[in-house]
Amino acid sequence: MSSVIWYLYEFARKSWAEKFTAAKTDSEIMEVPSRFRDFPEVRKEYCIACGACTAACPAPMAIKLVRTSDSAHEDGITYPVINNRGCIRCGFCAEVCPTDPKTLLCGENHLIREEFTILPVDKMFVIDDYLCIRCKKCLKACSEVAGAISEVDKKMVIDQSKCIGCGECIKNCPVKGAVKGIYINNVEEQKEIINMVVDTLEARIEADQDKIKKLAPEEVYKIDYPIDDLVKKAREIIPNDELIRDSIEKITDRLKMRILTWDDEKCTNCRLCTSECPSGAITYDKEKGVQRNPDKCLKCSICYQTCPFGVAGLYVARFLLSDTSLKDGVIQITLKPSQLPIRS
Amino acid sequence: MLDGLKDIIRKSSIHVCLVSTGGCNGCDIEVVALLSPRYDLEQYGIYVTNNPREADVVLVTGAVTEQWRDKLERIFAKVPDPKIVVAIGNCPLSGDVFNQEGGSVYAPVSDYIPVDAEVSGCPPRPTEILAAILSAGPDAIAAKGRQKV
Amino acid sequence: MILPIGPVHPNLKEPLRLKLKTQGERVLSAEIDYGYVHRGIERVMKGKTWQKGIYLSERVCGICSYIHTQTFAETFEKIAGERAPLRAQFLRVLTNELDRIQSHLLANSTYFKCIEHETLFMYMLYLREPVMDAIELLTGNRVNMGWNVVGGVKMDVNQSHLDSIQEIITKLESEFDRYVEMFDHGPMVGLRSHDVGKLTQEEAIKARAVGPIGRASGLKHDLREKHHTYQDNFDFKVIWRKDQDNYARNMNRFDEITESMKLIKQVILNLPEGDVRKKINIPAGYGEWRNEAPRGEVTYSIETNGNLIKNISIRTPSIMNIDACAKYMLKDVATVADAISTYASVDPCIACTERVVIVDESGKSGEYVYPEYKLEYKSE
Repeated sequence: MSSVIWYLYEFARKSWAEKFTAAKTDSEIMEVPSRFRDFPEVRKEYCIACGACTAACPAPMAIKLVRTSDSAHEDGITYPVINNRGCIRCGFCAEVCPTDPKTLLCGENHLIREEFTILPVDKMFVIDDYLCIRCKKCLKACSEVAGAISEVDKKMVIDQSKCIGCGECIKNCPVKGAVKGIYINNVEEQKEIINMVVDTLEARIEADQDKIKKLAPEEVYKIDYPIDDLVKKAREIIPNDELIRDSIEKITDRLKMRILTWDDEKCTNCRLCTSECPSGAITYDKEKGVQRNPDKCLKCSICYQTCPFGVAGLYVARFLLSDTSLKDGVIQITLKPSQLPIRS
Repeated sequence: MLDGLKDIIRKSSIHVCLVSTGGCNGCDIEVVALLSPRYDLEQYGIYVTNNPREADVVLVTGAVTEQWRDKLERIFAKVPDPKIVVAIGNCPLSGDVFNQEGGSVYAPVSDYIPVDAEVSGCPPRPTEILAAILSAGPDAIAAKGRQKV
Repeated sequence: MILPIGPVHPNLKEPLRLKLKTQGERVLSAEIDYGYVHRGIERVMKGKTWQKGIYLSERVCGICSYIHTQTFAETFEKIAGERAPLRAQFLRVLTNELDRIQSHLLANSTYFKCIEHETLFMYMLYLREPVMDAIELLTGNRVNMGWNVVGGVKMDVNQSHLDSIQEIITKLESEFDRYVEMFDHGPMVGLRSHDVGKLTQEEAIKARAVGPIGRASGLKHDLREKHHTYQDNFDFKVIWRKDQDNYARNMNRFDEITESMKLIKQVILNLPEGDVRKKINIPAGYGEWRNEAPRGEVTYSIETNGNLIKNISIRTPSIMNIDACAKYMLKDVATVADAISTYASVDPCIACTERVVIVDESGKSGEYVYPEYKLEYKSE
């Protein structure tokens, strides 16, 4: 009973009664404040098709770059299209857009200053100072697009906060490998691909060991290894052809593989090598004689340099990718005996 | 005559069930905000029951997670005819930010149940939800109800 | 008999299964099944650039989305060894307190819905809308604000924004006391709230309850005390109570709202001039940061290589609070209705809790909780 009285007292107010009789929804609920961030507005004419917005967008299917078909008079234009079903209205695309005036507008957009324009790209470009010949061709190419490359202490340096990842520097560089495009995403998968490729190539060479042992000192042994197999395996790891081609190309460019052969017939069980081997891969057993465990071998070549009878043979393999299109490419493997002197 | 009467009743009294199938629950609280005196959902004859067995409209908010893949269809089967599904927010439409490498969602919702109306935004403002429900809800229910009869 | 509640239930806004072991109307014990909202947000963040990460961290939880971005940003600022400009820190406090007010009002409104007190439920939502307006005015969005960035906040405020926020807060303050009194002295509310769902101090320590739930049980623990911005610039006191029941938890939240309003006034009064954002170069490294969310403490530990997030693990308060509810509060409750209202009083946020699912060999999945994590409590 007391509660009923309490509530009657609570509601028997003049203001309550007034509000109750005059209750209706305010029209102001439909109004949005000036700062409200709606879906981004696209102004097609300013777009330079750099792809910064698509790279920056945290939602996977919000922005797409589309290109209209060429007409008789002029080229088609490229511009971003916002998918309302994916857009999360964060305004990050408008923040990273490097054009002036902006292609993308989103809400009352923030505090945009040059130092804050962050362009997250999936490919990072780095200049290798060791290989750079300072021709400044990349600087010229970049100054027309983004102006990210500059000369600091007579070295060419890329400012990552300005780089838009267009790849003009790589196209203009006359030295192979001086400008590198590094994929910063999928690092683990890239490692896996590299390991897989190196392992497969090594296994392929080891299979030919008998032929390699018979090589004369100045002779060169050649194997052609078709690339299809590697690509098929790599696609299982990550289905990104561009990344696979890039990794295989880089591997074949740089890789120098040491191949160690072991000729049991020449061995006289002198056991000079067993004490020298740093990893304990070579062991001596009274019944079996000197044994080498290939899994433990570091390929350091100490046994090759120590053995007076030529039991261990050291060869160096180099690789060359004939065709970079991934389709019918062949990795040419060249194997020749090492030039390392034998300790005597 | 009977159809006309049914239409009027269906239009003027809508029961809504909110099913959150795995999102950040931003959309859920925007639906709760719709109940507030400011927006006052109930003045339009819409009542949030959260009980699928007596609902006319199912509001789905959220990308479909592992647990919901079979349960969503079961809930949909329990809703009496005519069934109207409104997808609220980006999660049921595209999976939002979760639908990328590493996320364990199975968006969109339309793979599992038919969606009649959608509101995009992450999350949409209450007025956007209200406008969508009012523009699609009553007429769609009436039309769908007529088809079945 | 086992009474299952959820995942879709008139009183639950978020999917979760509550299994109540009952004897007649009496609830003997309870068990909670998670796993309906697991989306893999931590795994999504992994391998993304940190600029993207801050927008993803908002989507961990929709109700307290703000504090997640702040903690994320402050973790990176800690890795870089720098702090945001002072004006930005003040604006962060402003938004944080506004967010806390709306979260607490929502939590209390849910509780009132569960005790079938629709009037107060409507009043709470009525109070909450102006606060949401203030947030939208300030940041441009109501829920997922996109307002924090590493190194500050995105937008500056001008005097007109501050004036309208001041107006909203003054209006809220003038009306607020009446509703608190309705809760405080309302006889019906009292019957449903007093001495229901007790969580003693020892149990709270055992269950590691944090936030208003822990503080209502006598644990004086508020991470805002240790936060550098609050420590250096603001004057506030930690709200805590000793009466340990549903009433205490809701009253604690009401008192915290009052305290938050005082803090907002201090921000508006003392807002320093200056920049709101500075460029911070992120080195490779590992960092950890704890912050007080509306529901307790949020911990982010992030490993980065200077560009990408290599590893991230988030610890949110709801998991401990819900656990405390299931283990200790729902032990021997008089009615099922009381069990539901007790569950609502811990302010459960399911989207927060579900990030990692570990599936053991038998195929059972459970939530991963840091086993070795210990909290330092100040008990008085």
